[in-house]
Amino acid sequence: MKTKILVANRGEIAIRLIRAIQELKYEAVAVYESPDKDSRHIRLANEAIWLGPGPRCDYLDISKIIKAAKKSGAIAIHPGYGFLAENPDFAKACEDEGIIFIGPSSKVISDLGNKVIARSIMAEAGIPMVPGTKDLAVGDEGVETAIAFAAEFKYPVMLKATCGGGGRGIRLIESDEQMREEIPVARAEAKAAFNDDRVYLEKVVIEPKHVEVQIMADSHGNTVHLGTRDCSIQRRNQKLIEIAPSMIGDKELLDTICDTAVKAAKAANYFNAGTVEFLIDKNFNYYFMEINTRVQVEHTVTEMITGIDIVRTQIKLAMGKQLSFEQKDIQMRGHAIEMRINAEDPKADFMPEGGKTVTVYRSPGGYGVRLDGFVYQGYTIPQVYDSLLVKMTVHGYSWNETVDRLRRCLQNFVISGPKTTIPFFLNIAKDPDFNSGDFDTSYLSKHPELFNYEENANEASKLSNLIAEIHHRGHNPYAA
Amino acid sequence: MERIVQGTSPAEVVAKLQKADGYYITNTARDLSQSDYKNRILLHTDILAADARERAGYFSLEITGGASVHVDILRKQVDPFLKLEILREKMPTTMFQTLCRGVNLFGYRPYPQNIIRFTVKEFAKYVDVWRTFDFMNYVPNMQAVFEEVAKAGKINEPCICFSTGPEHTNEFYLKKVREILDVTGEDIILCIKNHGGLGTPQRIGQLVDNIRQKHPDLPIHYHGHNTDGNDTGRIVEAVRNGANIVDAADHSFTGFYGPPPILTVIQTLKDMGHTAIGIDEAAVIESSDVIRDERQYYDDFESQIKGFQPTVQIHKLPGGAMGSSLEQAVKGGFLDKMPDILHKELPRVQKELGNYWSVTPGSQILWTTAVSNVLGGERYGNPSGDLRNLLLGKYGPFPFYEPETWIYEKVLGENWKTVLEDEGGVEDIGDMDIDKEKATLTERIGEEPTDQQLTLYLQHPNDAVDFFKFEAKFGQVHVLPPSIFLRQGGFDPGETLIFTDYTGKEHVVEVGPSIVSAEDGETSVYLNVDHHQRVYSFEPDIPEGAMAKEAIMSKEEIIVLAKAGDMRAPFSGNICEISVEEGQQVVQGDKLAVMEAMKMQTPISCEMDGIVTSIFAKVGDSLQPGDKILRVDIDE
Repeated sequence: MKTKILVANRGEIAIRLIRAIQELKYEAVAVYESPDKDSRHIRLANEAIWLGPGPRCDYLDISKIIKAAKKSGAIAIHPGYGFLAENPDFAKACEDEGIIFIGPSSKVISDLGNKVIARSIMAEAGIPMVPGTKDLAVGDEGVETAIAFAAEFKYPVMLKATCGGGGRGIRLIESDEQMREEIPVARAEAKAAFNDDRVYLEKVVIEPKHVEVQIMADSHGNTVHLGTRDCSIQRRNQKLIEIAPSMIGDKELLDTICDTAVKAAKAANYFNAGTVEFLIDKNFNYYFMEINTRVQVEHTVTEMITGIDIVRTQIKLAMGKQLSFEQKDIQMRGHAIEMRINAEDPKADFMPEGGKTVTVYRSPGGYGVRLDGFVYQGYTIPQVYDSLLVKMTVHGYSWNETVDRLRRCLQNFVISGPKTTIPFFLNIAKDPDFNSGDFDTSYLSKHPELFNYEENANEASKLSNLIAEIHHRGHNPYAA
Repeated sequence: MERIVQGTSPAEVVAKLQKADGYYITNTARDLSQSDYKNRILLHTDILAADARERAGYFSLEITGGASVHVDILRKQVDPFLKLEILREKMPTTMFQTLCRGVNLFGYRPYPQNIIRFTVKEFAKYVDVWRTFDFMNYVPNMQAVFEEVAKAGKINEPCICFSTGPEHTNEFYLKKVREILDVTGEDIILCIKNHGGLGTPQRIGQLVDNIRQKHPDLPIHYHGHNTDGNDTGRIVEAVRNGANIVDAADHSFTGFYGPPPILTVIQTLKDMGHTAIGIDEAAVIESSDVIRDERQYYDDFESQIKGFQPTVQIHKLPGGAMGSSLEQAVKGGFLDKMPDILHKELPRVQKELGNYWSVTPGSQILWTTAVSNVLGGERYGNPSGDLRNLLLGKYGPFPFYEPETWIYEKVLGENWKTVLEDEGGVEDIGDMDIDKEKATLTERIGEEPTDQQLTLYLQHPNDAVDFFKFEAKFGQVHVLPPSIFLRQGGFDPGETLIFTDYTGKEHVVEVGPSIVSAEDGETSVYLNVDHHQRVYSFEPDIPEGAMAKEAIMSKEEIIVLAKAGDMRAPFSGNICEISVEEGQQVVQGDKLAVMEAMKMQTPISCEMDGIVTSIFAKVGDSLQPGDKILRVDIDE
């Protein structure tokens, strides 16, 4: 019998994982909730197991997934990103059941998932950090600590959920008054979202760049980095565009940041693939933010410039293999940009177009473009899952070439049915600041004109509608 | 001598024209389209010619106004503002010219002053030269337009409408020129608007000479039509006697009722020592060459009657109305009556109604009256609402003499004197509440309209809304060439259609089979759009016969029903007003609704005293004779 690996995810990342698993000559086991019964990831997998009616509860049900793994005989589970990927209980359950969890240990996930523990580990290792508090005590005491901290470091400050992540559970506080109001609200929200009501404070870095470092660590004591990614272009703390490598500062600065990331990973006893996130201010001071203990959505840009298949490496490392390359072997070539083509209306606050059907889908191709897609012609955007259609990564020798390619590829897309993020991204691809590499986390708020575009995705289909009518009636009834 | 470019101030334009040693040419593309192609030349064709026309060096390109604004949204499904925007981008130096009907704007009846000003302001953003006329040559009807054009820094070109007959003397026209100058001041161009192409070359020469003697510095623009085949002769005499600008059109598209060919004018005048200033002859020829192949697709819109019509000197129909008049004759099945209508009844009606100028909307009044006189049997027996308004003086005073009293009696009724006294005179139309109209439009299209959309709506409410909905459904269709947009008989199976959308993206559409479902009669049209199959479904048509049988009634039946309070449409046309509400008390003679056909409005009057119990039709409905409008019952 062939060795099987279970993919505990859906959407494009499930497909990405299935491809790597099958390339390694393993068999991929998919799982699904009822609304995903026609999903593409099931078709590509070697077998599929139904978890339950869903939506979004069975993919989060640890016992059901462990049961599916046992039923199929899978020896390992890849969690992808989202869902259970950073849930230490899931990693723990795998460890307890003797199933290989493709990722770091439950202990590491647990430590790094707790922002305050993570900060203390990093402080001990001498990693530079944004000044912050420990977990705030419940009640007035915590509020007073918070106000004292704000008095020392000046408003605005960030109020963060200790167990938050991925941009969630963060709020900007600008006054004592607001602090008093928001701490209880933030606690309640954190409790609801992460089942943990702890919160803490951090100083705010004004208009920072968001730079992260991809690291890989084996179980034999080797840790390397795969260079940087710039994820500064964000909307409400959610990454929109990711770029590799970062173009900030000089090589020396980036080398220092990468070395710091390796140091941080080692301090945390990190294993498998992870991402160390930093904020960089206007004076090129850099501060550790957090370590993401999963494969990132944007891992593709790093793969494009290094040529290293991160998911394949993840699986091999989880199987106990040593890293097959050393730091000096890793070469960075050119630039890569990744964008998420979502079925959303950017003009309506990125409202998902759930329920609409993709009547025409034509994708770009040619040199330097990679598509990690989930969409196909006839695909209906689910109401209950995310609206990602396809993740596009372009690669070029120079930054200019990469942006030119990005623009060309966006223009080559033909998607009819739902509104998409393409025209919005196209405006970014044409924006002079973006073209000159001038962007930080304030990019979107400084460029409201990016939302000025006309919907043209359906123009061909609209005109064809008239052509069909002229053909059917034998004349143009609107020109009679 | 240099050409005059877009952006030159009115004073500078006038100064350049005064010093000019030679004459300028306006390419009258819009008038050509209106006169010879029922206004159907598509923006696609104008875009094709844009580059060569830009290089040709015209004084201006007359490309909007007249009936074209309405036809743009009604039959060509193109935004008249977008049209100007696109052409401006391709023709940065050429001035754009419009034809404005004064108080009637681009429509057929007077608009409120604030609507006139709002509309002119919006169009003046694109239009440089404003040719404005009034079919009664009644200067106050043009004043609001003059003022707004001047305010916008654009060029006023007021017209004296020209006609022939014993009253149409040089003295009369000189008096009109004086009236205009008194209102506008000196920085204008005067247009001699010879919309019918009337008079001989000698007559036009004399008129120009008379004006030139009296006003040596006044730039004169001669506009004519080639209906009798002799407008080149009139142009030559106009220029020889001092006209500064003349109108002509691209020769590959010239027909019978529009302007004559530009090149013919240039060649003839060159031989006489007159230079066409700024003109690049090679580019003039090129403009014609690039669009020549397109003409075949407009075949259906060319005149039903081919050949020049020297009899225009008798019937005086303006070139711009020839095509549509003949079309009505064909559609109405009275083409055989045309000699009677054109050569006997029209000149008679014209004389009877005061020998005013046969141009929009006055020409429609003459035409419909003549048609109805010939077809209806009893002369003036079935007067249109607009004829009534004409007699009431709503359009302005009669220029020479008033019609005889028997006509007033026929049209206004026995007590016509009282009616005239009570209702007569130029109507002071109250301002419209533009904000309220905007709110209504917002509701109708589901989003806040732009000022341009509002402008179109204020002029043609229902047609504008239809157009906005069309645009939302079908996109910007001006990108489709006439070979697609105007195709007759459907496409060939397997035919490949290629076009570029407004964003510059090219699309390929292959025509697949059409399959009719045996079950429900629905037709599925298969198209390969950009190499992907798409299906468009059409519900089966209701057989025309079934509908027609139910609706059409005889005139007598409709009259009998009306007397009993069952108001039916007396002719085929559109409802443009419902004048009453349900539950309203009405008496015999009250106006219940207004219907429009052939651009003429006719009130539907109440035949009995009672109460309006139900209303079946709504504004914008297109009705056949016998279709229900509303019901009046005796109030008990």
